[in-house]
Order: sequence, then structure tokens, then C-alpha cells
Amino acid sequence: MEKAEYNYDIVRSFVNWSILWGLVAVLVGVLIAFQLVNPDLNFAPFLTYGRLRPLHTNAGIFGWGIGTFFALFYYMVQRLCRRPLWSDGLAKFQLWFFNATIIAAAVTLLLGYNSSKEYHELEWPVDIMVVILWVIFSVNITMTIVKRKEEPMYISLWYMLATLVGVAVLYLVNAAAVPVSLFKSYSAFAGTNDANVQWWFGHNAVAMVLTTPPLAVFYYFLPKSTGVPIYSHRLSIIAFWSLIFMYLWTGAHHLLWTPVPDWIQTLAMAFSVMLIAPSWGSVFNGYLSMKGQWHQMRDNYLVKFLILGITFYGLQTLQGPSQAVRSFSAFIHYSEWVPGHVHMGAMGWVSLVLFAAIYYLVPKIYDRKLYSIGLANLHFWLVLIGQLINSLSMWVAGLQQASMWHSLNPDGSLTYTFMETLAEIYPYWFVRALSGIIYLAGVVVFIYNLYMTVRRGKEVPVAAAQTT
Amino acid sequence: MKSASILYLGVTFGLFAVFAVIVFRTYSRKRKEKLEEPKQRMLEDD
Repeated sequence: MEKAEYNYDIVRSFVNWSILWGLVAVLVGVLIAFQLVNPDLNFAPFLTYGRLRPLHTNAGIFGWGIGTFFALFYYMVQRLCRRPLWSDGLAKFQLWFFNATIIAAAVTLLLGYNSSKEYHELEWPVDIMVVILWVIFSVNITMTIVKRKEEPMYISLWYMLATLVGVAVLYLVNAAAVPVSLFKSYSAFAGTNDANVQWWFGHNAVAMVLTTPPLAVFYYFLPKSTGVPIYSHRLSIIAFWSLIFMYLWTGAHHLLWTPVPDWIQTLAMAFSVMLIAPSWGSVFNGYLSMKGQWHQMRDNYLVKFLILGITFYGLQTLQGPSQAVRSFSAFIHYSEWVPGHVHMGAMGWVSLVLFAAIYYLVPKIYDRKLYSIGLANLHFWLVLIGQLINSLSMWVAGLQQASMWHSLNPDGSLTYTFMETLAEIYPYWFVRALSGIIYLAGVVVFIYNLYMTVRRGKEVPVAAAQTT
Repeated sequence: MKSASILYLGVTFGLFAVFAVIVFRTYSRKRKEKLEEPKQRMLEDD
């Protein structure tokens, strides 16, 4: 197989577009963080917090996250299967349809069309676009794997297949709705059933969009970056299957202390705690893969991103199950603690791994040396510091907020009014907004470094660029 | 016990059995080399 037969055009295009949507997600994130500090920054009706917040999450999860996974899956599947994509035409159509879908999502959200389901806000016409997009992607990846020239399947391919199936099932079930006009529909489920299905979807979007794809990426790019294989392929297989068996039962931990039946809450709580095992199976596999290679944390900027990324995955998968325990949830739920948790996953785990993968890819698919390793290191520290300040400020805010909510006078009345608890949170919100600026600066450095790599990076021979 | 409950119980035990088979096959000594091979192959220049 000649390397030139691999389709890198589609990889390049998805990388470029997903970075653009990622920048939008961070910019909007910074804006809404400042809107909380200063409500005068809400410009009604289109640029209010209520409309921009779903734009922030959708651009981040679907534009940056899924867009980058499209690029990386198309890159990995060709190399792991040692054959070109099953259909270049379908992939090209998918690229443009992806951008059309993201634009449709952004416009409808800003116009106020919103299904009111968190992480599934898009109304039914845009939902249909998402389904078409996913079917096209799934068919192309699956057929490339089915017709592979490399019989053994590396673990990343298993995670990719799980992503395709998982997202399809979750999205279709949660999207079931009755349209009443062009941009208004009502859920096919009612009451607690609706809540249960929504959070079965909501939490498993974390599983199938923000866990299985980054794990596929991590398992591929860590050994490619270090030059040594992962510690145990068999451990990765067991971690994979146990994650698949357990994850889909955990969604109801978002509904602890609600009218959802107790047994469902208990089931979700138990499976959430059990999920520590497969998650840490991958974390240990990552750490043990570094045996004898820890010096690369100093020498190899890619390894820094990847190992910090898997470390945040490890922390995330300890903090998450703790929050899923009834007693702890009763304290911190609905407080600022939760955005701190989410952003450790999004800005730490997922984004650090994606930054590393893109740094690895771009020099290879453009046949250039990276413009500046110094800038890559600067990017690393900016996003790490930004993310840590963001999460820490929200955890402290959440603890203070929850403590004030739960504080009682001797006669049983509340010690603080809601407004008093809100006023105490403002300094933390301001710190969080500043952390967003630091993170944004890191992203700008990242984009500049990639732009200069493509425009002015030193050309290297194709063969050298495409080896491991 | 209702028939639905028996069915759910059966599915639960069935899933445990499937998982046990996966663990047993993955860590079978006979299959060690075959199952560890992909981690070496993915590093080869393709």
C-alpha cells in the first residue's frame, strides 16, 4: 500500500474546521463567564446568557469535540486498517454537511429555538441533520474497518465502533419528539420518564462523545508519540468491555433526590462507583506504558499533553462517582461545584488529548516540521493553568455556596437568603472569567503555531513525515 | 416472582456470563501472543 493513497485532505479539512468551532466555543465561554459577573454584557435578545450558553456547549462538544474526532478517526482508521477510506466522496459530503449542521445549530440557538434538553437542545429539523451526518460517518468508518487489510484490530478501533453505535442509539431515543411546527416539538416521553431518558442520554453523551473517542485517540497517539507500545493490549480490551457494560446504567445519578424511583437512583449510583475500575484500567495502562519513558515528560511536548490528559481523566473518574453518591450529591448538586467538574473533563482530559493529537498530525499531513516547540510548551502551560484556575475556583465556590444553602438557624430556618448566597459567588465568577482568558490565550498560541507550521514550517520529506 | 422480573434476572446473569467469557478468553495463555500483537503492529510503519 502506497502511503499517498491515504486520504489526508479530509483529515486536514476537519482539523481546520473543528479548530474554528473550538475557538468559537472558548470565545463564547469567556463572554458568558463575564455576563455572569456583569449582567450589562447581555445584549438582548440574541446575545443573552440563555441563548449563548447552549451555543457554548454545542460548539465545544459537537463543533470542537466531534469535529476533531471526525478528523482523527479518519486518520486512525486508514492507518490501523492499512487501507484508504471506503468512500472519499461520502467523507467530503460529510465535511460540508457537518459545517452546515453546526451553522444551523448556532443560528437556531441564537434565535431562541431550543428543545430545553441539556446537550440536546437542537430542534427536530437540525436533529435530522445530525442523524444524517452520523449515519454517513458510521457507514464510512464501519465499511473501512470491515474491508481492512490488517486483520488484528487495535483497541482504538473498538472504541471507535462503540462510539458509532452508542451515539446513534442515544441520540435517536432521546430525539423522539412530536413536531408541532417547523421549529417546535414536544418530547415523546412525559414526566419522570422524560427526565430519565434525557439523563440517560445526557450522561452517556459524556460516555460516547467525551470518553470513548478520546480513549481511542489516547491509545493511538500515546504509543505513536513515545515510540513504545502500550503496556497491555489485553488490559485495554478488558477495560473497554467493562466500560461498555457499565456506562449505560449511570445516567440517573443526575436525578438523585428526584421523583425518579429509588431503585433506579441506587442502580445508577452503584454502577457509577463500579465505573472507577474500567476508567482506571485505562489510566494505569497509560501510566505503565511510560515505564522507562518518564524522561519524555521533559523532552517530548506531546507526552506532556497526553499524560496530563489521562491524569485528568483519572481525577474526573474519581470525582464523578463521588458526586454520584446520594449523600455527597445532596450537598453539591446544583452548585458551582458541577461546572468545575465538567470543565476539568472538557478543558483538561478531552482537550489536552486532542491538542496532542493535532500537534502530532499537522506536521505529518502537511509534511512540515512544527514551527515552534517553545510555543507548544507555552500553549501547554497556559491551558493547564487556565483549566486549573477554572476548576478550582468553581469547586471552592460550590463548597461555599452549598454550605450556605444548607446552613440552618437553631429554629430550623435558613441562615442565608438565596440572594446572599449569590452575592458571595461573584468573586469566584470573576476569577473563573479570568481563567477563561488565560485558556483562550493558550488556544490562540496553538492556532498561531499551527498556522505558522503550515505557512512557514520547514518542509520535510513525505516519507520522514509519515513514519511513526 | 413476576415473569418480567425473572427475565430481567436472566438477562443480568446472562450479561455477567458474557463478561466472564470475555475476561477468560482475553487472559487465556493460548491467546496472549495473538491479543498483544496489535500493540506492536500499530507502531510499524504503514
